[in-house]
Parts: sequence; C-alpha cells; structure tokens
Amino acid sequence: MEPIEIGLIVSGVMVLFVVLGMRVAFAAGMAGLLGLIWIFWAKKGYDPEDFGWALTVAVKTAGQVPHSKVSSQALSLIPTFILIGYLAYYAGLTKALFEASKKWVGWLPGGLAVSTVFATAGFAAVSGASVATSAVFARIAIPEMLKIGYDKRFAAGVVAAGGTLASLIPPSAILVIYAIIVEQDVGKLLLAGFIPGAFSALIYGLLIVTLAMTLPKFGPPVRGFTWGERFRALPPAMPIFFVVFIIIFFIYNPFGGDAWGTPTEGGALGAFVVFLMAVWKGMRWRQFRDALLETAKLAVMIFTIIWGVLIYVRFLGFADLPGAFSDFITGLDQSPMLTLVMILLAYAVLGMFMDAIGMLLLTLPVVYPAVMALNGGEFVSAADSTFGMSGPMCAIWFGILVVKMAEFCLITPPIGLNCFVVAGVRDDLSVQDVFKGVTPFFIADAITIALLVAFPAIVLWLPSLA
Amino acid sequence: MATGASVLENDSLLSRLDQNLYRIERFLALISGLAVFAIMVFAVVSVSGRNALNAPVPGYVDWIEQLMPLIAFMGIAYTQRDGTHIRMDILIGRLSGRALWAAEFITTLAALILMILLVWGSWSHFQRSFDFAAPWWSRDSSIDIALPLWPAKLLVPVAFSILCLRFALQLWGYGRAFVLGLSEPVAIPLIKSAAQQAADEAAILEDTNGERG
Amino acid sequence: TEWNVSVWGKRRAFTEHVEKLAELVSEKTGGEFTMNVSYGGLSKNRENLDGISIGAFEMAQFCAGYHRDKNPTITVLELPFLGVNTLEEEVAVSHAVYAHPAAQADLARWNAKLLMTSPMPQYNIVGTGEPRDTLAKMDGMRVRATGGIGNAFKAVGAVPTSVTATEAYQAMESGVVDTVAFAQHAHLSFRTIDQAEWWTANLNPGTVNCPVVVNVDAYEALSDDHRAALDSSVDEAIAHYLENYGALLKKWDGVLEEKGVQKVMIDEAELAKFREIAADPIREQWIADMSAQGLPAQELYDLVMDTLKKQRM
Ligand code: NA
Ligand code: NA
Repeated sequence: MEPIEIGLIVSGVMVLFVVLGMRVAFAAGMAGLLGLIWIFWAKKGYDPEDFGWALTVAVKTAGQVPHSKVSSQALSLIPTFILIGYLAYYAGLTKALFEASKKWVGWLPGGLAVSTVFATAGFAAVSGASVATSAVFARIAIPEMLKIGYDKRFAAGVVAAGGTLASLIPPSAILVIYAIIVEQDVGKLLLAGFIPGAFSALIYGLLIVTLAMTLPKFGPPVRGFTWGERFRALPPAMPIFFVVFIIIFFIYNPFGGDAWGTPTEGGALGAFVVFLMAVWKGMRWRQFRDALLETAKLAVMIFTIIWGVLIYVRFLGFADLPGAFSDFITGLDQSPMLTLVMILLAYAVLGMFMDAIGMLLLTLPVVYPAVMALNGGEFVSAADSTFGMSGPMCAIWFGILVVKMAEFCLITPPIGLNCFVVAGVRDDLSVQDVFKGVTPFFIADAITIALLVAFPAIVLWLPSLA
Repeated sequence: MATGASVLENDSLLSRLDQNLYRIERFLALISGLAVFAIMVFAVVSVSGRNALNAPVPGYVDWIEQLMPLIAFMGIAYTQRDGTHIRMDILIGRLSGRALWAAEFITTLAALILMILLVWGSWSHFQRSFDFAAPWWSRDSSIDIALPLWPAKLLVPVAFSILCLRFALQLWGYGRAFVLGLSEPVAIPLIKSAAQQAADEAAILEDTNGERG
Repeated sequence: TEWNVSVWGKRRAFTEHVEKLAELVSEKTGGEFTMNVSYGGLSKNRENLDGISIGAFEMAQFCAGYHRDKNPTITVLELPFLGVNTLEEEVAVSHAVYAHPAAQADLARWNAKLLMTSPMPQYNIVGTGEPRDTLAKMDGMRVRATGGIGNAFKAVGAVPTSVTATEAYQAMESGVVDTVAFAQHAHLSFRTIDQAEWWTANLNPGTVNCPVVVNVDAYEALSDDHRAALDSSVDEAIAHYLENYGALLKKWDGVLEEKGVQKVMIDEAELAKFREIAADPIREQWIADMSAQGLPAQELYDLVMDTLKKQRM
C-alpha cells in the first residue's frame, strides 16, 4: 500500500474517533501512532516477525514528540497571554473600558452596542482568548443594554461577536499557534492582526449604526456626558494602552528606532504590569491561585492538543501527505483565487463542528504548504507570485484569513462557543436566542473577510513596515 | 465540543480513589500555573538585566525551554479529570444509558492504551538523555549553556503515568456504569448540555473573579 | 532499498552534498537504492541522533554543538581558533577525527556511523554601529554565538546571548543582540546581513561541526553493491558541496558591496591577543573535562593539529 493511502485511511480513523467523542488530542495522537506503526511495518513488507520492531520504532518516535515540541520558547507566549486575560479581571480593566467607551461613543445611534464592541476591542488588547472576553462582557454590557430597552437577543449577539476580536487583536494565543505550526515570525503575525482586528470592530460598529437607523424600537443612544466625565473615564482604562504599547514596542518600534525586545518578552512584561495592577486592586493569594489554576488548565489543554496533533503530523511527514495534497491543489485546473476561496469556505463548514485551535492544528500541516505552493512557493518574490505577495507575506495574509475564519466559527451554529458562553452567563437567554441575535454579524464578518481577501494591504501594510 | 464537566462523589472505594487522585492532580496543576508565573517573572528579570545592567540572564532560552514541560504536562491529569480536554460531543451528547457508557468506555480504553505506549516512548526518550556514568548524569544537553535535559524529559513519563491512573479509574467508572446500568455514576465527568456547561463555566468565572473595579 | 534522510530548514548550500549523494547513489544502482531527503518532516534537528538511534530513519545531519553531551568527542572540532582557514582543511580535520576510534565509539552509542562532514567556513560576526575591531571594543558586546565560539567571546568580556537562528534577525533589529556570529550562508538565509553595517573578514573564531551519519544496522543490511555505491559517492558529494559553497563565497564580496556592508580587517596583534585569552584556556578546560570522562582528549586535539599541518604541506 502506498504511504498516501495509509495516510488517508489513518486520517479517516482519527475522524471516526473524534466523532465518537474521543478527546481530540488523544484521537490525533492515536491516529499518528497507528500510522507510524503501519508505515514502519509496511517498510518491512508486513513480515509478522518485524511487527515488534515496527511497534518499538513507532512508539519511540511518537514518544519523542511531546517533550520535543513543547520545549519551545515561542510557545511560552501562549500561557502568558492566557494569564494576562485572567489577571485583567482582577485589575478592574473590563469595567473601566466599558465605562470609558460608553461615555465617548454612546451618543451614536445604537450607542451602547457600539460602546460594547469598542470595549471588547480594547479588552482584546490584553486578552488572548475570545471565549473569556465574551464571558466577561456578557455580565457587564448586557444588563446595561437591557435597561435602556435593547432587544435581549441582539444585546447577546453583540457580546458574542465582540468577543471574537480578542483573537485578531494581539495578544492572541491562536495567532501564536498558527505562527508556530507554519514556522513564521510570531512578531509579524501579531502585528498583522492589529488592523484587521480594528477593521472588524469598525465594520461591527457600522453595522450597528446602520441597524439602529433603519430598525424601529432599537435601543436609544446614551447622551448627556460632559467632557469632564469623558476625560475622567480615561485614566482607569489607561493600563490597557500601556500594555498595548509595551507589546507593540517589543515587536516593532513605530518611531523607527530599535524595538525593545522580542514578542515573548513583551507578552511577559505586559502580564507583569497587569499582575501588579491586580495586586494593587486587592487581588489575594486565593484569587491568584485560582487564576493560575485556570491558566494552567487552559494551557495544558492547548499543549495537549499541540503534541497530540504533532504526533499525527510526524506520521504525515513519514507518509508525505502534505506534499501530495499540495501537488493536488496546485494541479487543479481553475483559478488559484477560486481555490483559495474554496479552502476558506471549507474552513467555514469545518468550523461549524470543531473548535478553532483543534481545527487549525489538524488542517494546517496539510493546507498551509498547499496554499504556499499555490502562491508560488515559500521563497517566491512578490513579482513572481500568484497573489502578488512574497512567500512570507502570503504566510501572514493566509494566517489572518484563517484565524478570522476560525473566529467566525465561534459564533456560527451549531457549535459556536462564544454563543454558548453568553447564554450560560444569562439565565434569561437560550442558546437559540444568542444565535438569533448574532446573525447580523455574519454579514459583517462576510464583508470583512471579502475585503481582507480583495485588499491584502489591510493585513500586510503594518508587518511590511517592521 | 465540550469543555468542563462535573464529577459526582460519594464514599465508595472508587470515589475515594478518585478524590485522592484529584488532590494530587490539583497540586501538580498548581505547579503548572506557578511555572507560567515563573516564566513571566523570568522574562522581566531578563529584560531589565539586559537593559539596565547589560547583563542578560545567561542561557535565557535554555531555561525557558526547561520550564515549558512543567507547564504543558504537570496539569494533564487534572484537565482530564475535569473533562477540560476538548472533544466533539455532537454524537455522544445524544446517547444515554448503556450506549453512552459503552462509547465512553471504548474511547477511554483507546486513550489509555495510547498513553501506556507513550509512557514507554517518552521513558525511552528520557533514557537516551540519561547516563549514570556521565557528569550531571547527562547524555543530552541544551544548546547554549549545556543544561542537562533529562529532568525535563523525565517529567513526561511521570505526568503520563498519572494520566494513565486517571484513565484507569475512569475506565472502571464507565465499566461499572455499563454493567449496573447506572444513570449518575461517580468518578467520571458527566456530559452536560451545552447550555448547562456554559452556565457552570460562567459561574466559575463569577466565583473566582468577582469582577471588581 | 529506500532510505529516509532527515535534514532541516530548506534546501541550501549546507545540504547540497546530501542531495548530491542521493542522486549519485540512485544513478549508480540504476534506481534500486533511493534516498528520500526530508526537510524537517521526520524529526527536530536537535533530535536527529535520537531518530538514528531508534531506527526511524537511516541517514541524518546534525551539528555537534546542538548537544555537547550527546557527542563529546567531535566537539573538539568546535574549539575556538583551531586555525582552520579553508573548507578543504575543515573537511580534512573533520574526517580525520571521524576516523578516530574514540569518535566512532562515541557515535556508536547512538547506533550511528559517521559518513561525512558538512564543512562550514569560520563564523565571522556582523554588527551594527561602529565596527568592533579591537578586544576593547568587544567588551560588553551582546553577541549571538553558541558553544565554543560563545565561550571565546565571553573570555574577552562580550556577553553571549541566547537567540535561536530564526530569531537572530529580529534580535538584531530589536537590539537584543548587537552582533551575530554565523557562516556566510546563514548570514544570507537568516537575513542578518540585511541588518549589518559591517562584517569581520578575518576574525575566524571557529565554526560548528555538522556530520552526516547513517544508522549502523541499515548500513550493514545494505547489499554489497549498494554499500559500495554509497561509500564511493561520498568524496564526489563533498567535492560538489565544496564547489557549490565556493561559488557562494565568491559571490559574498558582491553581496557585501550591494548591501553596503563594510568589510572589517582586524589587526594581527589584536587577533593574537584574542587567541591567547580565549583559545588556550578554553582548550585546556576542554581537554581537562573530556579527559575526566575518560576520553582521549589530548590525542584528538593533536590529531586535528597534525592533520592541519599535513594538509598544508
Ligand atoms: Na487579543
Ligand atoms: Na461554529
């Protein structure tokens, strides 16, 4: 049997076990190990005497992967980004952001909803995880919107959609994961997320204003704040900007001088500032311990998927499946742009049923080389490329597109984690309500993704400066 | 796709074993969390050392690489006990009774076999880096300041062994539930409806964070 | 027979001999013995020896300095200021050490047989700002250098800083380091040359040693014809590598000019001082440490020196 056929069969077994409810990390690891045993045994012509050898070699090869892949400095960004998010609650940053945002843009049509979107965008700058962002704002923003007469479903939808901004605007755990799988510069990817993230927030805002102006009985604007009140609302939210500055300056110095360090150091320093604030605001050991445990749980969950999937990827390397798939994609007799759009649509469908990290980890090892090949290879120059951008720039562009798709999937039924969480926080909302309320934002996201595909400069301008 | 679940407890032998193991798992997970904090502090020390004293921490990358396995592996059984490792429950969420316990038993058994094999594989990875005869018992060292790698490599089979214990307990739990046809067995993470689960998650957030400011 | 070969990165001057070897072996055996060269798909570069030891693949490339404790004997070739000047000399000293029984026993612990080296030129430094052309100016310099070369810089008061090769460009840009030590092809592929204002042409502090090894069982299982095809192709593969790298070195001056990088020559007197401060104590320390482990350290070092002398006759 050809290695590629083994690859397809083993991948099928993995999907079967995932559907059966096996934890994704272990299903991927198991499929990888099975595949390795098969490949090594096939090499010896399936001689029964050699099965023991094949099993030993496969187990030892797979057994290297967890330690080998996890001991990476770049991966240390993931737990620090998660920790920042948890500590930010104790530092009182969430409430401060919402208050400031309300006072500054509340006067717009649909003002409180717009404020919520901008506050989530601000919180995204300290939070690396979407679900956590939605969970916090469901408690702060929804009651206020209900108080002044917003439809409860729409209020919930705003929060669920706003949460997705956390994974584009740095820090972002999922962008780090992408950078590591595809071996690209983490700093540039994080930098690339800024504008598309802000851009998404803006599109959300425009959508809300449009809806508020066309639909009757939409919640009224909140007016009547004095300039004094507006400016007094800023200082409590300031630490957010401080953290944003630290992280930006550690990736790239906008004023043309040296950056201050590496993204890893920037993330850690940002977390440290938020930690000091939380202590100052009264965080004690009990709460700190809980934050550490929650961080550990989320980090361990992510790392387990990472090494589980990488065992499977190690097997793919021996089966050379990524090479075969990329030959297939580049051999398609259709426009490369159409192929890219089809790949993105496939992510939309897959994302309906999977969570973002698992989906990226499982698919990127095969899909990413294919997309790069489509553009003309990893080292192609902009002039010779299909999409008009160099290899490294294409890697960044595709990364932002894929992460935006993955975020889109957090608000689509049937499995939209952000919607579940929002419904969970509010007793008066069912999951169906939230899905209904979030529907208008599908349009906003579709527009955003279309614009990012059509105008790659939105993504690439900032990283091309660095 | 599920995160988080509830585990029922009583004073049966199985449940007592479960609770004792849980205490160990929780302690190890706290070590994971403290390692995250250590990485943060370490980066701050390194940045300030470099900029203020022109004295970067020697072998900074090497040390971070040694800390990462602490974060990634120490909490693995704790995360499994709570059912935090993600999965798709679109199919299994529709099953109940013996059909559910049978499906859970099969996937747990598969995971247990995988982890036993990986204990072997990761132990052999450790063994290749360990040599009683060598200085620091080290036969594999980090690239920059030559730290021995065996302690970090040893963490993997240790943490995986504890995960195997956890899987074995869960297998017992599922098997018992299947044989006795139980509806609410102890010592295993019970599937909750998506809404129930999200509500619990939100409640955790509420308790532990008590949003202030 | 099909062999899997584990290397890393992308295809470059550093892997040309492996590609050539695969080509030659396949030619000589009429396509019966093929090698499938994988760039990072089979193993992490620092674990290629583990993969060989397990038997997961049959051939692999790695660098001694990635893991000193895995291969103590061949780290003799990474001592600072050995005085190796050309790639041909690097091949000669490497192959002499690879042929020594102690080195062979060292690698046999990994079930590995040393096949050939991947000769690298001296690791000269690039930097920004004023050229660090005296020892005094190297004091406090943050340099990206590992292993023996890192120790050499430390001996003259520089601060070796850990940065991975892929992060080197950004580390330089951000001022985490102000100088980076690499061979020319790496300055090109990791783009440190794009950051640089100057490059030291004659510092020649040392280099890393990166052998290509084969799994002993797989090697012994080869038919006589196939083994002969493999053994007889090594010299030709190395010759191809030297020719290819030589072309790159010829281009180097052009690259410097195009990027406006100043070529810095360091005074012979300064170099002598550097060697005295760095080379001797580090070598003595190495010999003492290795001898304590029961390795014929002095003998290995002398072998390098003798081979170098013979090569120059
Ligand atoms: Na974020
Ligand atoms: Na979804």
